[in-house]
Amino acid sequence: MSPRNQPIAPHTKGLSTAISTSGRASSLLSRHSSSLLLFFVFLVVVVVGIFVSRDLRSADAEAQKMYAGSVLGMRRIGNMEYEAQETRRSTFYALSTKDSNLQVKYADQSREADALVTAGISEYLREERTPVELRVGTRLQQSWYAYLQVRDEVLASILEGSIQEAVDRDLKSGVPLFDRVREDLEEINRLYDEQAFQRLANVAATSRRTMLRLAGILGTTLVLAFVSVWAIQTSRVQAALQLAKLQMEFVASVSHELRTPLAVISSAADNIADGLIEGREDQQKYGRAIQNQSHQMAELVNQILLFAAANDRKIPYVLRVLRVSELVDAVLLSTADRVKHSGFTLDLEVAPDLPSVMGDLSALTQCLQNLVGNALKYSGSSRWIAITVSTARSGHGGPMEILIAVQDRGIGIARSELPRVFDPFYRSATVISEQIHGTGLGLSVSKGIAESMGGRLTVASELGVGSTFTLHLPVASPDNLPPQVVDSPSGVRAQQ
Amino acid sequence: MTRLLKVSLLGVAFAGLLIGATAHEFVPGSAASSEGQTPADLNLAIVVNVSNPADKLSTGELRRIFLGERGNWPNGRRITIVMMEPGQPERASILREICQMTETQFNNHFLHGVFTGQLLVSPKTLATPAGVRKFIFNVPGAIGYLRASDVDSTVKVLRIDERAPSDKGYPLHVPPRPSK
Repeated sequence: MSPRNQPIAPHTKGLSTAISTSGRASSLLSRHSSSLLLFFVFLVVVVVGIFVSRDLRSADAEAQKMYAGSVLGMRRIGNMEYEAQETRRSTFYALSTKDSNLQVKYADQSREADALVTAGISEYLREERTPVELRVGTRLQQSWYAYLQVRDEVLASILEGSIQEAVDRDLKSGVPLFDRVREDLEEINRLYDEQAFQRLANVAATSRRTMLRLAGILGTTLVLAFVSVWAIQTSRVQAALQLAKLQMEFVASVSHELRTPLAVISSAADNIADGLIEGREDQQKYGRAIQNQSHQMAELVNQILLFAAANDRKIPYVLRVLRVSELVDAVLLSTADRVKHSGFTLDLEVAPDLPSVMGDLSALTQCLQNLVGNALKYSGSSRWIAITVSTARSGHGGPMEILIAVQDRGIGIARSELPRVFDPFYRSATVISEQIHGTGLGLSVSKGIAESMGGRLTVASELGVGSTFTLHLPVASPDNLPPQVVDSPSGVRAQQ
Repeated sequence: MTRLLKVSLLGVAFAGLLIGATAHEFVPGSAASSEGQTPADLNLAIVVNVSNPADKLSTGELRRIFLGERGNWPNGRRITIVMMEPGQPERASILREICQMTETQFNNHFLHGVFTGQLLVSPKTLATPAGVRKFIFNVPGAIGYLRASDVDSTVKVLRIDERAPSDKGYPLHVPPRPSK
């Protein structure tokens, strides 16, 4: 293979691929910025939601602690106060009668009540307590046991019938000891009260924090949602404006493309009508001019119709097993005249023993014809194009593909424009400024065809060096052979 | 003939009454099997507060205590006598076997003693064995009596004349409880 026949050098290809990738990323980012923003909103909501949920759990736990600890504790202390009073009251009841049976009954009541207080104090001391609570609890227990000792003596005196002795003993020791018990119980109650107050403050603080976070999440969500909607609207407006601009440019371009051949045809027709054409040679010359311009116009109109049909998915592609040579021959045949008249050298390199592909011959020919047409159009002064056919695996160890690359050494495509070259109506600023005619539909149509055949169209290019457009087609295999002729949703019809 | 028949019938009826009266008379240790109670249940235990250091008493000491002639325990604690209500078989046993008095004599003894100032305290009267138990539990110097089957850990049983209620030859007995 001569150097001229070689495809773009590997290092150039790598660079171009990198450019293509970064361009694609930036395109994706700009195209999906509103979606990203919405995703970000979702993330923020989830994160703040987690915090709020944690706060609510914490407040709930604090409230439960407050109930289990302070509220129940205060109720228990209330009961203990009541039972302590009952212990004393029953002892006094025993004083009020001389009936031994009743005195024994009151003594029993007093002992039942004191058992409840004793159990309550033990339970209080068994639970997890602060040092202060423990100290007060222990003091209460000591006071209570001391009081019970006096109470037993008082009861004994009452039952013996020594009322005066019982009263004296109670006044001397019972009253002060019971006062101590009461004070200790009140102290514990006060501690519970403080604890409840502290826990209530904690719950209130947690609630305030939760409210702030909720307000934050609502505010953030509203702002971000507003920004998202604004971004979506702006993006839509910009897209609509861009489309409108592209369509305007397209109309201008198409008008220009149609007007030029029409002017030539009109002028030739005028000359013929006015009898200015004499001789066979002139007639042939004018005839070829009219023929060329008509072909050009027809091609332009076809291109537009093809794009419109593809957009409406009205093209019924007929898929069948194709030999690659058959496809290459069709492309060469359809472009031979243009290549020859343009004075181009076309280098063809086809790898041997190529497998067949699955596709529509006419559509694929159209696709490659567009690529060759572009190569001719944008080759500048190099006057060289190459068609290289080879096989390769798709991705890392993917299925086998046929690669048909159309390479030129023309003006190339700027890195920033690579992501958009397949957009319909898109024409680069360089092309417009150099007044290279076109509709901006060829590559879009070719890409659509490639994808309809289960393949893809890629580009590698460097400004001022040249471009390589590669059509990737899946190799026909028993797995992807359609069993019968079908109309696919995208308008593709398959035929075995 | 008719008169002889009437006399015979009266004789039979009287004999029947005598047999009936004899059948209800309490014989220590003999009524156990007929009432379904064990001999220990028919013994009368003398009980004091568990804090009382005394472990035993003689029948004579017991008599002095129940008649209020002894006022204090060896540890100085005042003795409080606990009796069950009149009509109870346990009280009757104590009066008969310890105090050797009738109900009237016992009451008169204490009325006279308190009136003359020879006795300072009269016995406390309780209606039920449970009441006696609880009274004794509450009063460190109390002494009372219970059927052996009514005794529990809240009171302490004294040996009388070196014998516990479960021992053979224990001196205090009580007739079976009347069936309901």
